[in-house]
Amino acid sequence: MRDLAARLTALDPDAGAALQVIAYFDRLTEARAGLQSIVRGAAVLAGCPARLADEHRRIHLRVHPDGTNAAAPIPTAEQPGRAPSAAADQPGPAPTSATVEQPRPPSDSAAGQVDEAWMSVVVADGALLWLERAGPPGPVDAMILERAAGAARTVLDRTRHHPPPADPALLELLLDPDAAEPSRLKAAARLGLKPDAEVRAVALPDGRARLQSTATPPPDATMRAGIGPAGPIAALPSSYAAARVALRFTAEGTEQDPGPRVVHADHLGGLALLAAATDPGGDPIPDVQALHRTAATAPWALATLDAVAESPSLRTAAGALRVHHSTLQERLSPFDHLLGWDFRTPQGRLRLQLALALHRLTRPPSR
Amino acid sequence: MTIQIGPPPPFDPELAAALDVLGANLPSAVTAEMIQPMRDGALLAVAGEPDLTRDGAFTVTRRTVPGPAGDPGIELLIVAPAGADRALPGLYHIHGGGMILGDNTTGIEVLQDWAAEVPSVIVSVEYRLAPEHPHPAPVEDCYAGLAWTAAHAAELGIDPDRLIVAGASAGGGLSAAVALLARDRGGPALAGQMLLCPMLDDRNDTPSTLQMTGRGVWDRTSNDTGWTALLGSSRGGPDVSPYAAPARATDLAGLPPTFIDVGSAETFRDEDVTYATRIWQSGGQAELHVWPGGFHGFDLLAPQAAISQEARAARLRWLRRLLAG
Repeated sequence: MRDLAARLTALDPDAGAALQVIAYFDRLTEARAGLQSIVRGAAVLAGCPARLADEHRRIHLRVHPDGTNAAAPIPTAEQPGRAPSAAADQPGPAPTSATVEQPRPPSDSAAGQVDEAWMSVVVADGALLWLERAGPPGPVDAMILERAAGAARTVLDRTRHHPPPADPALLELLLDPDAAEPSRLKAAARLGLKPDAEVRAVALPDGRARLQSTATPPPDATMRAGIGPAGPIAALPSSYAAARVALRFTAEGTEQDPGPRVVHADHLGGLALLAAATDPGGDPIPDVQALHRTAATAPWALATLDAVAESPSLRTAAGALRVHHSTLQERLSPFDHLLGWDFRTPQGRLRLQLALALHRLTRPPSR
Repeated sequence: MTIQIGPPPPFDPELAAALDVLGANLPSAVTAEMIQPMRDGALLAVAGEPDLTRDGAFTVTRRTVPGPAGDPGIELLIVAPAGADRALPGLYHIHGGGMILGDNTTGIEVLQDWAAEVPSVIVSVEYRLAPEHPHPAPVEDCYAGLAWTAAHAAELGIDPDRLIVAGASAGGGLSAAVALLARDRGGPALAGQMLLCPMLDDRNDTPSTLQMTGRGVWDRTSNDTGWTALLGSSRGGPDVSPYAAPARATDLAGLPPTFIDVGSAETFRDEDVTYATRIWQSGGQAELHVWPGGFHGFDLLAPQAAISQEARAARLRWLRRLLAG
């Protein structure tokens, strides 16, 4: 009864024992157990010492099969000049499945160092888990390693890389202008916001919302987003309304859909009034129809007009488009006629900017 | 005032994992029909006869000594460190098993672990089990063995000033009961009582008991089975003796220093916490540990778990403070 390893050995390794190993580590993961518990589980189930070394995170754990912690010797030293690369410090993609492989041979095998005969598995970039069994592996050693590594990977992902996602229901409540203020403040507290926090609401194209504050990092810069003005928690519903307006001014940032991927409501000024006056999928005004006609003449036409509208000079626009100045001049020459106005004058440029803005605002809803 | 009873506290993660792997043939609910199959080993497999001498580190003797007046003799299992040259503390052990299971080797490995750290002589009593032998047979057997041990301390190599009673589960309840008997009958002066997740209250109606119904190890049904075996239809009624169910004692003054531990996720949590509290309220000394997420007997089932290691270390520290020297 007391000896898990003996009990597993007595079971059919193909069925009973494997299932129990799976159940053991699944249960640890479910209960959000830490690395100590996972390495201990590996040692206890295998009946031999287990160790985990993660050079980047400076974690060295070693556990005896009776569950007691062993002094973890500093793992095999990297050769001078073979220090972990800078890139390895980035949270790289974790391997999708545990691969059992031989560990690197020890460079200077002092006593207590890693033995190359031990079975090991990659937990994550720079992190290895070993079963310290010199002889032939036990019947479920590979299974123990694989499941323990999976559980350990979950812990590393959880604790090192990502803040836990905010509860969508709490967020919805927080941004709902019709919700009572006390419930919104309670939701804010449960989301970890201090009462005096300065917060922005962020609107995302798929309809989700995020918060941005000193406590929560800004969303991924590559993500298309409308960002509301910063303010107290009480003002979050209006910040979110402004963020959703800002989102309508964003574009994919591609040649077919040129424009900014991230738009701050703070920077819209009077343009925000245009949003209120138009509906997505609504009838385009004649200037936008002209823009569409022009865009249809060449794959690069819309991106070219956008660059011209957004750049302080044609030379800068040519640089942004990575074409020669004279090429740009050549491409633009038929556009006056197609659009029906001269976009090189200050008034014409404003008219082009408005046409581009209205083009984005009147696009049919994307999803 | 009614107490709002919530869901049971979650098990400690490592304990939950071990229970999943080992608990398959460990039923939460033991019923009367299961007593005999469990005694036959059909439900609780024992992995061979353990080596009680631990490769010669201990001497093992069995002695039959007089039982309670008019009753048969009882067997004491005496396990002593080999080659001791002075009187050692005595650990009078009463095994667990819900009043219905076990023998005087049950759980003795735990005491041997203590004796390996704090050299002590273990005396483990073979008492008669319910339901064949209802109250007061078990507790009177235990008391007779204790009285004999105290009277023969010198012969056993025990320092009579350092004799404690110790037991887990039903053995903890019986240990508490013999401590009450020793106090009330002017019996052996005990140096301490070590009550590990003790079974103290036949009423079986505390919030922890209700929370753990059908869950963990030794649930409310099992507890009813054990107490009914011991007390029959008087279980839970007005006339239960404190020597059967120490929670029934109205006076907990004058008891020796007490160690109590229990898991937060077990039937006995509330009755054990209450017992410690009442000892303090009576002016006595008690050390209480409630291990979060521990089920009944967690450190036996999963000795490797971090929390089991801590529970075991806490017991050893108490023994050292009390007995070493």
